[in-house]
Amino acid sequence: MPYLRITLLRSAIGLPKPTLGVLKALGLRKRLATVYHPVSPSVAGQVFRVKELVDVQEVEERLTREEMREWRRPESGFWVEKRVGGDRGGEGKILGQSVR
Amino acid sequence: MLSRNVKRALLDSRWPLPPTFLLPWAATLTTVSHATEASNIPPPLVNASQHVSPERLERRHDQTSSNTSPAAAPTLQPANTSTPPALSESVRTLLPVLAAQGPHYITAHLYDRPYLLTAGDTVRLPFHMKNVEPGDVLRLNRASVLGSREYTLKAAAATPALKSPSMSSSLVLDDTTGSLESHSMVMPEPGVSSSGSRIMPPHFVPHIAAGKVSYLDERLFVCRAVVMGVESEPLRVKEKTKRRQRKIKKVKSKHRYTILRVKELRGPVCAAAQAMHTGLAHKDYGISSPPSHWSYAVRVSLSQIFAMPGPSYAPKNFVMSTS
Repeated sequence: MPYLRITLLRSAIGLPKPTLGVLKALGLRKRLATVYHPVSPSVAGQVFRVKELVDVQEVEERLTREEMREWRRPESGFWVEKRVGGDRGGEGKILGQSVR
Repeated sequence: MLSRNVKRALLDSRWPLPPTFLLPWAATLTTVSHATEASNIPPPLVNASQHVSPERLERRHDQTSSNTSPAAAPTLQPANTSTPPALSESVRTLLPVLAAQGPHYITAHLYDRPYLLTAGDTVRLPFHMKNVEPGDVLRLNRASVLGSREYTLKAAAATPALKSPSMSSSLVLDDTTGSLESHSMVMPEPGVSSSGSRIMPPHFVPHIAAGKVSYLDERLFVCRAVVMGVESEPLRVKEKTKRRQRKIKKVKSKHRYTILRVKELRGPVCAAAQAMHTGLAHKDYGISSPPSHWSYAVRVSLSQIFAMPGPSYAPKNFVMSTS
């Protein structure tokens, strides 16, 4: 089922109330917030109302907040080569490294 | 059909950017190389299923301005064990010169924050690194710039795109959909890199894409740092209160910061870079094998690091010559 991924790129401060209402209806509270809505004529109309503020993309599946947060998480940029106390607990996983 | 109407409706009204003279002056600066567009990529690489990560060498002298025109971007495939990357002519000729001109510096990225480092530096990170103890050795594997006094090796810049790509049929340079023009933000496959490969997010993320930095290949440098310890700032007390309110709330802050010391910075490991395309020497690319006057130490490190099959390098007199 296709979704519209809508990201608020411009701030809504100082805009008239109808526009603020549309953003509230879409669920866009802050700048750079992202919401997913299923594609429908009503959602398309809402996007038209705020099209200058918003970036829209059509995608197949929606991501949850936790998933979006994981994608945003940066790489650590390092891994621990040698530990002073040897391997801790015999675990084979390298700590301090963001594994995706 | 509904999605087609929606697409057409959404695409009809374009969101125009302001005119060029109103854009920030830095927005027009780009190190994007157009050599990596679809028409310029050689056919064997166009059909590659992996992402292409271009790298480019930029020579920096005192006379040249900061906005030098980029050299031809060599196409570098991220390595898995079967397809080592190919280097262009300019990188192959200048990389040994860069390697010979020590000491080197590197812009290493920890959690995407850049740190300009050289061997022997003490770094006070702006955060407390968990799960490490003083004495642990870290290997830094994300770097965007590797340079010496006169030469700099940079990864090609990402395509600056603040808007998601339009749904047109033409190929669009997009750094997140995994198209064949993906830039070097895409890390090599897990088979080669020691760290987990970063899989690009499935959807375009504009505010992340805007600030993205592209990284060098991990195998081109070796950077090790030791955790020295943890430092803490002086105790700060923030008083929170309101006017005409006698109650004052005090909030204590005493942040801790990890100290690293860069104990080793080796790079670029050009013997390894030569080894990367040696495997292609006898295939379609017609690249010559590494010159025989390369020093013994360099060639030994080649075999040690990559265990490349081939002729064993007999020890010769230690001669380092520039090409």
